[in-house]
Amino acid sequence: MITINSLVKHRRKQEILSGISFKARPGRVTGFLGPNGAGKSSTLRILLGLDRATSGSALINGKPFAELDNPLTRVGAALDGAGAHRMRTGRAHLCWIARAAGLPRARVEEVLEITGLTNAAGKRVGSYSLGMGKRLGMAAALLGDPEILVLDEPVNGLDPEGIRWIRTFLRTRAESGNTVLLSSHLMGELAETVDDVVIIKQGQIVADGTLAEVIGKHPTLEEAYFALTTEYPGENV
Amino acid sequence: MKVSFNRRLLRIFAAELEKLATLPTIRFNLMAAFMLNLVLAAAFTSAGLQGAAGTQAILNTGLASMEYLQTGFIVLGVLSACSEYTGGQIRTTLTVMPWRGLLLSAKLLVLALVTVPAAFIIAGSGILYSFFMMKETAAGIEIGTVISSLTGATGYLTLTTLLSAAISIVLRRSTPAMVVLLSYYFIVSPLTMGILPGISHYFPDRAGYYMYTPFTFAEADALTALQGTGLSLSWTLMFISAAIGLYRRRDA
Amino acid sequence: MRAFLAELSKLFSLPGIWLACGIGAFAPAVIAVLDSIAQKEDIIAGVSTRLPEAGYIGLAVGVQGVIILGVLAVSSEYSTESSESGGGQQIASSLTVVSSRLHFLLAKAGAVTVISMLQCIIAITAVVPATYLILGEYTPLFEWPKLIGAVCYWTFTALLAFGITVITKNGIVPLAVLIMNSSFVSISFLLSKVTKLALYLPDRAGIDMFMSLSESILSPFTGALVMFAWVGVLFSAAIVVILKRDVAS
Repeated sequence: MITINSLVKHRRKQEILSGISFKARPGRVTGFLGPNGAGKSSTLRILLGLDRATSGSALINGKPFAELDNPLTRVGAALDGAGAHRMRTGRAHLCWIARAAGLPRARVEEVLEITGLTNAAGKRVGSYSLGMGKRLGMAAALLGDPEILVLDEPVNGLDPEGIRWIRTFLRTRAESGNTVLLSSHLMGELAETVDDVVIIKQGQIVADGTLAEVIGKHPTLEEAYFALTTEYPGENV
Repeated sequence: MKVSFNRRLLRIFAAELEKLATLPTIRFNLMAAFMLNLVLAAAFTSAGLQGAAGTQAILNTGLASMEYLQTGFIVLGVLSACSEYTGGQIRTTLTVMPWRGLLLSAKLLVLALVTVPAAFIIAGSGILYSFFMMKETAAGIEIGTVISSLTGATGYLTLTTLLSAAISIVLRRSTPAMVVLLSYYFIVSPLTMGILPGISHYFPDRAGYYMYTPFTFAEADALTALQGTGLSLSWTLMFISAAIGLYRRRDA
Repeated sequence: MRAFLAELSKLFSLPGIWLACGIGAFAPAVIAVLDSIAQKEDIIAGVSTRLPEAGYIGLAVGVQGVIILGVLAVSSEYSTESSESGGGQQIASSLTVVSSRLHFLLAKAGAVTVISMLQCIIAITAVVPATYLILGEYTPLFEWPKLIGAVCYWTFTALLAFGITVITKNGIVPLAVLIMNSSFVSISFLLSKVTKLALYLPDRAGIDMFMSLSESILSPFTGALVMFAWVGVLFSAAIVVILKRDVAS
């Protein structure tokens, strides 16, 4: 369970988030949508303890991220990019993460296999393509077999095969009772994967509910999204 | 399952050690420092062979390259600290180990553990080289003085590395960190030595100088090795605490 | 020409370049002043051996500004040190905009040359009055040929930094080597005590353009030629490297 509670973030004089609240529940895939710069990444970064909130809280099972006992086994996170040093090999990157969480080395080979990186594991991260970097990020997130997944743009840069894999993978994770929170721009893709939708615009939540509730009278999620995020939302709602 | 504090610390150590070991630039930097130091030791030895004799000459020539050698260790500190900020690795690090104060202290401790043997071997090889080249002229070398100088040199290089790492953590990017550190060590410090000789003793690098220069060779108003060590250590600890304070507080 | 202007605007949009320009403009004057203060007593007493260096030392040691400029101009293209970027390097965009790599490199070098010349001229206009301020009537003459030599020295140094960084793709090595070597504890100076050949190293030869040190054997003009030859060699190497290299690697 992820609970975001009236989160406010100021950066210099700008207000990035102005008191947003929503929940991501176990057993469901929650999609987090919004235009570029709306505050999606900032929310996820605060949730993961990377940035500090000006006020409000972002809790994981009722605790702030930094108070988790062994975070890797509770929360798997993949933000934009691989999150790895260019000069290391993919395997070396996963190995130090495994060490930090006290996981056996065999687990590294397992996640390499799951994400289809076994053949590229000995290459430097700097030589990876965008999609391979994404897969490496996913591999790191899955390393601790966590009950909660937080993914920023997980399908960005993936090939069609990878996209389909992510979709079925996230569905099975959620159906076995795990929590999945993912941000994305790809409406069509999202509509097929998520159960709940949260839409953010200029640091404020403009829609929060199940997929059906958010789509409402609109024909598709995409239509609903544009109605909610364009300048004059009154016309369509 | 509750993870005990000791086990957590041990895991952070292991992870940070593995990070250092799998970064090819660190290895390359240490090897380059080793070889360049030998070249410099050779240069100093052949420049200094004329006339001088005894333990003092051997130590002086063996340690004369320290001023250049410290660059290698400044780079080591910068590389190891700034590597976190390449390719967004810091996000991974902090989501796996969100205890920032503990993490940074452990990271610097691991860096120190790697630096001590490296500094000992590299500085020692320089002294050893000049010893072999000059032993005909040296009348009975005092092993005690050599050992204390070498220990001081190792300590100084380690503290320099940690200080550079602390400043790099604050600055996050390698280029500004290099510019700040190199301008201080090579421009500002020598200049102030000419102008404010009284105060410049207390600067981190000048104080560190007395860690490896035997007391008897130094000028009259010099610090003892112990005073130098204390001052140098306090500077380093001060910068480290500032870095940890900032690191805990700021957005990654 | 368009590529050249693009490179100029790219450089001026980097905050680091402004820092480099600041250092380049003021550091020499500060160094000249501090060194003059330290030397003043000796100079007035007439026992200083370094009188002809006064002031010029600022221009010799204060080249950090252009070193940073040359390094940053290239390393910014390869930079990945950002918590946001997923490893994207600007060089890929740069080379798709200016398709000829040779033009790209020449335009960039042109921008670096122009900025470093300007920096040096500003630095000189700061150093000369600053030295007069401290030394007054004892100030050695600032002669035009020497000042032009200093401008050449700065420009060549910037281009050396530029060329080395193209080859290493990373700013750390050229910064360490060049800043250390231009400082008070120069390696070339040490090597020159071992072998006279070290006097032909670029920084030693370059310094002969505007300072006459006791051990130097080159005339200002040959010094300029030697340093220019170094720049030429490194630059050719940089061109070969950038033409052959895969951009992403």
